Amino acid sequence: MFFHIVLERNMQLHPRHFGRDLRDKLVAKLMKDVEGTCSGRHGFIVAITGIESVGKGLIRDGTGFVTFPVKYNCVVFRPFKGEILEAVVTMVNKMGFFAEAGPVQIFVSNHLIPDDMEFQSGDMPNYTTSDGSVKIQKDSEVRLKIIGTRVDATEIFCIGTIKDDFLGVISDPGATS
Amino acid sequence: MSLAAEHSSSSDDIAASLDAVLDTASDASTDPDEVIEEEEESYVGDEGYYDSDPERPKRRKVELSKGLTNLQRSLSQGEPVDLSGGSSPKKIMCPHPGVYAGMCVKCGQKVDEETGVPFGYIHKNLRLADDEVARLRDRDLKNLLRHRKLYLVLDLDHTLLNSSQLADITVEEGYLHDKRDALPDTLKSSLFRFDWMHMMTKLRPFVHTFLKEASNLLEMYIYTMGERPYALAMAKLLDPGDIYFNSRIIAQGDCTIRHQKGLDVVLGQESAVLILDDTEAVWGKHRENLILMERYHFFASSCKHFGFNCKSLSELRSDESETDGQLATVLKVLQRVHSLFFDEGSKDNLEDRDVRQVLKTIRKEVLRDCKIVFTRVFPTNFPAEHHHLWKMAEQLGATCSTELDASVTHVVSMDAGTDKSRWAVQEKKFLVHPRWIEASNYLWQKQSEENFPVTQAKSK
Repeated sequence: MFFHIVLERNMQLHPRHFGRDLRDKLVAKLMKDVEGTCSGRHGFIVAITGIESVGKGLIRDGTGFVTFPVKYNCVVFRPFKGEILEAVVTMVNKMGFFAEAGPVQIFVSNHLIPDDMEFQSGDMPNYTTSDGSVKIQKDSEVRLKIIGTRVDATEIFCIGTIKDDFLGVISDPGATS
Repeated sequence: MSLAAEHSSSSDDIAASLDAVLDTASDASTDPDEVIEEEEESYVGDEGYYDSDPERPKRRKVELSKGLTNLQRSLSQGEPVDLSGGSSPKKIMCPHPGVYAGMCVKCGQKVDEETGVPFGYIHKNLRLADDEVARLRDRDLKNLLRHRKLYLVLDLDHTLLNSSQLADITVEEGYLHDKRDALPDTLKSSLFRFDWMHMMTKLRPFVHTFLKEASNLLEMYIYTMGERPYALAMAKLLDPGDIYFNSRIIAQGDCTIRHQKGLDVVLGQESAVLILDDTEAVWGKHRENLILMERYHFFASSCKHFGFNCKSLSELRSDESETDGQLATVLKVLQRVHSLFFDEGSKDNLEDRDVRQVLKTIRKEVLRDCKIVFTRVFPTNFPAEHHHLWKMAEQLGATCSTELDASVTHVVSMDAGTDKSRWAVQEKKFLVHPRWIEASNYLWQKQSEENFPVTQAKSK
């Protein structure tokens, strides 16, 4: 789920950046440091939308660097257990399939794929129902439910399921509508 | 049924659980037990919502499984089904079939132990428990047998291609550095240069046809002792459309035992896997599945590495024959194994057949009806039966003996001057060099004895 929250960070700035453009340089450094990172608490920081406030700078003894506490608004993405997401399938193999929803990689094991879907190997490995009506292959869109998440420094990993009602394929890349 | 009574309580449970999960912004890694319990309650509660519409078959299946778990719970707890306190037995029962990024793939719980087999070549965070691997192998075997396919594990270096560091290219091989247009036609499509890896690669002749034909009969894996980036680059050369190997490229980092290749990371039953490799030593436990290939030495550095002092194929400006070379021969063998395995006339179940038996049978036909005596081949005082040539000849279907008699058909010797060698010439038996046995082994066919004469050894 996406959230728009206020986060705070202490930014250290080298004295060479002091001058007229101090604030802009601070904001640029903040964006470079923070956008694209993950934290366990907030999830994946997608984009900074604005700066709420920049506090008074504190000069560090001995080095000359100045620390500014910066409060900024940003859009974060954090998946939750039990959340329902739409994702695009990236890889299908006999153990299940991998799907991506933005920065999140989700693995759906074949234990959590409905029993009537069988794995078919071949040029385009896929999971198909016995009557061939529903097919999951690379670039299909699926709706899935998250049952576990793990966050590390740059990536978020999730386990998902499509074994519940209303979950499964939304659109088939090769299907005639 | 108790399900109706749970309807009202389950909606409150969901709201409460969502609140609890969203409020824990202060701590992402909430107590897994707590969250699992709530999730499981809401999970089960969701299904309880819709029992008013029994038409959908999917939901009926879900209700059935829920009924079963309820039964399990009441059996284990000895009391009527109670949602609020009943989640712990369900947790214990999850067998954690696989672990992805530290979480069980079935229940989502954190799993810290390092049990099972890591499948790093599929995804760097994936591990599977042994039971799960066995289950997957079984299922996949049934699937493949239905499509009449077996498994093939291919080695890269000296089997399908030959690579050399750019620094090791000799002066005589300098013409390989020429621009693409200046190269002879045969090399244009099979010689490739990788500046970022500082190496050059030559594909073995016939390799593209081999892969195309083999893919109709076998599901293929690449298993190399090289590093992963190298393996992926070579796979792109051999399989530009990514149809033959898909996500089945195993590199050095994926081996579970150092310097040994194993079929434990291959998701196929051992009774249906064939291996194509030039080195026997790395396949300690799986020699019976192995089809040994003759090494492909194109570059001079490769010849030198194995201690051969002759000129390499590149220096001689020639190449292995396309239609008659090792790959073509091996393809015929594979086709033969495949047709024998899927033989309609056989009475066994497909699942009970073993490809290793088929290989043994085919091997025994090569030197059938030959009786061999060795002379001046083994070191003195060496027990003859343990020598690899003796064993190789027996595997190829010949009978070996240490004594001469009328039934002997071949005398294998390194020296034409010994008693036994002279006896062979006298009795008009075949006198051959040990290379004859090895060539028959590599080419899966009894070789013509005239091509392997024995010379008189130089007298000291």
